[in-house]
Amino acid sequence: MKKTILSVDDSASILQMVKLTLGGGGYDVVQASNGAEGLARARAGGIDMVLTDLNMPVMNGIAMIRELRKLPQCTGVPIIFLTTESAANMKQEAKAAGATGWITKPFQQDQLLGVVRKVLGA
Amino acid sequence: MTTMSKVNDRSLVVLILELQGESLAVETSYVREILDPVPVTTVPGAPPAVDGLINVRGRVVPLADLRLVFGMPQQEAGRDARIVVIEVPIDGDPTTVGIRADKVNEVTELAAASLESTPRIGLRWEPEFITCVGKRNGDFVAVLDMGRIFSRLLAHNKGAAVVPPAAGN
Amino acid sequence: MSGSDPAQTYRQEAADLLEQLEQALLDLEHAPDDADLINTAFRALHTIKGSGAMFGFDAVAAFTHHVETAFDRVRKGEAAATPSLIAVVLAAKDQIRLLIDQPDSADEADAAALLNQLQAALAAPERAAAAPNSMVAWRLRFRLPRDAMAMGTNPLLLLDELRALGPCTVVADPSAIPPLQALDPTACHVAWEVTLLTAEPRSAIEQVFLFVLDEMQLDLEQITAEPSAPKPPPAPDRTEPARKPAHAEPASADTGSIRVPAARLDDLMDQVGELVIAQSRLKQIAGATSDAQVKTISEEIERLALELRDTTMGARLVPIGQLFGRFRRLVHDLSKELGKEVTLTLAGEETELDKTLIERLSDPLIHMIRNAVDHGIATPDQRAAAGKPRQGRVGLTARHLGHEVLISVTDDGNGLDRARIQQRAEEQGMLAPGTRLPDAELFRLIMEPGFSTAREVTSVSGRGVGMDVVRRAIEALRGSVDIASRPGEGSEFTLHLPLTLAIIDGLLVRVGAGRYVIPLSAIEECVELSAEDDTRSRGHTFLNIRGSLVPFLRLREVFASGTDPDTYQKVVIVSAGDQRVGLVVDQVIGDHQTVIKSLSKLHADVGAFSGATILGDGTVALILEVAHLVEHGQHRDESLPQAAE
Repeated sequence: MKKTILSVDDSASILQMVKLTLGGGGYDVVQASNGAEGLARARAGGIDMVLTDLNMPVMNGIAMIRELRKLPQCTGVPIIFLTTESAANMKQEAKAAGATGWITKPFQQDQLLGVVRKVLGA
Repeated sequence: MTTMSKVNDRSLVVLILELQGESLAVETSYVREILDPVPVTTVPGAPPAVDGLINVRGRVVPLADLRLVFGMPQQEAGRDARIVVIEVPIDGDPTTVGIRADKVNEVTELAAASLESTPRIGLRWEPEFITCVGKRNGDFVAVLDMGRIFSRLLAHNKGAAVVPPAAGN
Repeated sequence: MSGSDPAQTYRQEAADLLEQLEQALLDLEHAPDDADLINTAFRALHTIKGSGAMFGFDAVAAFTHHVETAFDRVRKGEAAATPSLIAVVLAAKDQIRLLIDQPDSADEADAAALLNQLQAALAAPERAAAAPNSMVAWRLRFRLPRDAMAMGTNPLLLLDELRALGPCTVVADPSAIPPLQALDPTACHVAWEVTLLTAEPRSAIEQVFLFVLDEMQLDLEQITAEPSAPKPPPAPDRTEPARKPAHAEPASADTGSIRVPAARLDDLMDQVGELVIAQSRLKQIAGATSDAQVKTISEEIERLALELRDTTMGARLVPIGQLFGRFRRLVHDLSKELGKEVTLTLAGEETELDKTLIERLSDPLIHMIRNAVDHGIATPDQRAAAGKPRQGRVGLTARHLGHEVLISVTDDGNGLDRARIQQRAEEQGMLAPGTRLPDAELFRLIMEPGFSTAREVTSVSGRGVGMDVVRRAIEALRGSVDIASRPGEGSEFTLHLPLTLAIIDGLLVRVGAGRYVIPLSAIEECVELSAEDDTRSRGHTFLNIRGSLVPFLRLREVFASGTDPDTYQKVVIVSAGDQRVGLVVDQVIGDHQTVIKSLSKLHADVGAFSGATILGDGTVALILEVAHLVEHGQHRDESLPQAAE
């Protein structure tokens, strides 16, 4: 069975790139444009991994991560956030909120696949 | 053909077994072990006389029921039942086979003087399966030619050992 | 040929050199320390550059100069022939070719980019491809934070990443696991100790734990810096052949090899076999106990026994080129004797087989080659008259495919005569007259005993020695023979052989009171047979499995087990070649690695079984001969007369 990844980002181009890359890598991808949408989708269940930007309107990434970790259906689900090189303190905050790992922007397609395989398996 | 006359020159050390009340002898040079009965796996499609397999110290060995070879009744064996593991040449190749015995009596030496030609009548075994006959405790006991018995079994089997197809459902 | 145009001469010379360069680079990937290969590559580059300058190929010379300089560093030992370097040089080689053949399409930017990559590859501290000398042993002890799993970290994936770095021993530390009442299933209570052998640097190991490095406990120490790790002997399911000539030892380029008496390897194999049996008994006992320590040890021993099995099987592998080599002389002599012109071409000589298999293949292969030269290929005059080259070709190829070795004997002769075979088969009573069989099946008939269409008996093929001898020899090796042929074009005889004689993976099933093992490699799938399907399929010979019709056999009936069927039977769908059959059994018990014991002469004719094995409880189980059962299932209600077994 294919694993399902929830991709959360307010940038439509990032969402598209992620969907293309991970879809081609054998995963199913569902999308959300902000933290609140992401949370709602996660509540519906069936998510095996979450990939999220941090800087988003309505509900930002850190807050969403915190709320996701309260959901029983997200226990054990890897949450990867996108971060820029310089934002070291964001990493701390995101991990404290319950994130599993990160990808540094800008990233290539194979880097994305690499991280996903690392935390999720094939 | 049995080589009666030549055997008269020497004595034979044999193992005496009982099968359905009859005594028979096997040359000890062929005997490898004597076992208590062990679980037997049936081989579907094998000729009934050799339709079992047993585990002898990690080796898979066929188990023969000589009662079927000699047309004997097949009453259940009692607590004295044993399996005698022998190694005999079958078509020239040394082969390990187990044979069932209702009882294993003794190892004894049949003295040269007591080894005689097979009387043509009065014996329940096929003459060609007998190496020679010896006297023991006043009775005749036949020394069976295991190699020939199994070679004959093998010859019979060829062309007949197809697993019978199921006749419809 | 054209001595007049120096540029043309250069082009040809360069083409040869580029080919040499490419071969050397490809070989270098597998033997990065091979000085000969490095020198060959360097010399090729050097000459291309030098001659290029002389004959006016300035762009080529200039570009190649840089590549040569870079490679010179490798030659001097200042840089390693890493996979990325080799890749760049291969790309550079393509660029050189472009510069020579189509200088106008060559892009400056591409050339510059390549040279940059070249520099980068030289500078990169990447390890050389599979150089065992730089392997280092590490010991890691790590404990993840309690909530790591809940936060999405999967320790098993981390362990897999470690395994990808090199051979690992992983031992779990259960000491911090609380009693059941206090156990939080989402918490990570287990720590691990891992011994890892890798050529990767420390940073690569730490990289595995990138996301949790800050919160976890990690002790990472080098155990030894000595290049002590021997390269493991080739495993039986390797798919990449070693690029060495056929008569080279199968060991790696760096470690040596020793001669071992064949009998000693046989003993070793027997002992390993006994160990595997004993281990499976231990597994049974461990399964029945609640003693955790016994269970752990049993698992450990199982792992070790299987590794030992694989290593031992690997030690018995020998390249088939040893055997093939003998046949050149055979074909040469045969050709002379029969007045034909035949060459023998070989392929796949590096394909490895168990050594006993190779010995037992010699006779059947000799026989098949004789047949090919004698009956398959016509005289040079006949061939010329048919518009074929006078010289006939016999080919011997070997390759691995899945769990099998395929060995083919091909010839470009007349091919098998369908009509004659059909006629002979009908004469012999093997075929009802007028029966139409697909080619593959018709040709298979020539392997029946007593079948011989040769009008004359030559001194070579002998009287009455037919393909049935070959077939029996191959079946004794648990293999099979496929025959294909095209009239006027030639024939191909393919032997399918298992990789090893001694041990197979099987599925243990129960039919009635008896237990049987089905070789895993023959199994496609298992499905349930509900009571309704069972009833519905009475009187039919096919089962409907997800829409396709599969012929089936109720083993209960085939084996006359005399018992009532279980309520929920299973169908094990097996295949041999491209035919399938469903075997209905009462119960599927589980996987079973079995050491195969051959059946004695007294049972050799029972076609349904290929051997026997000893189960964990000491009883004997029979191993099913799938090919026989598949054929049985196919022909159950066709009106073929019973073939003599």
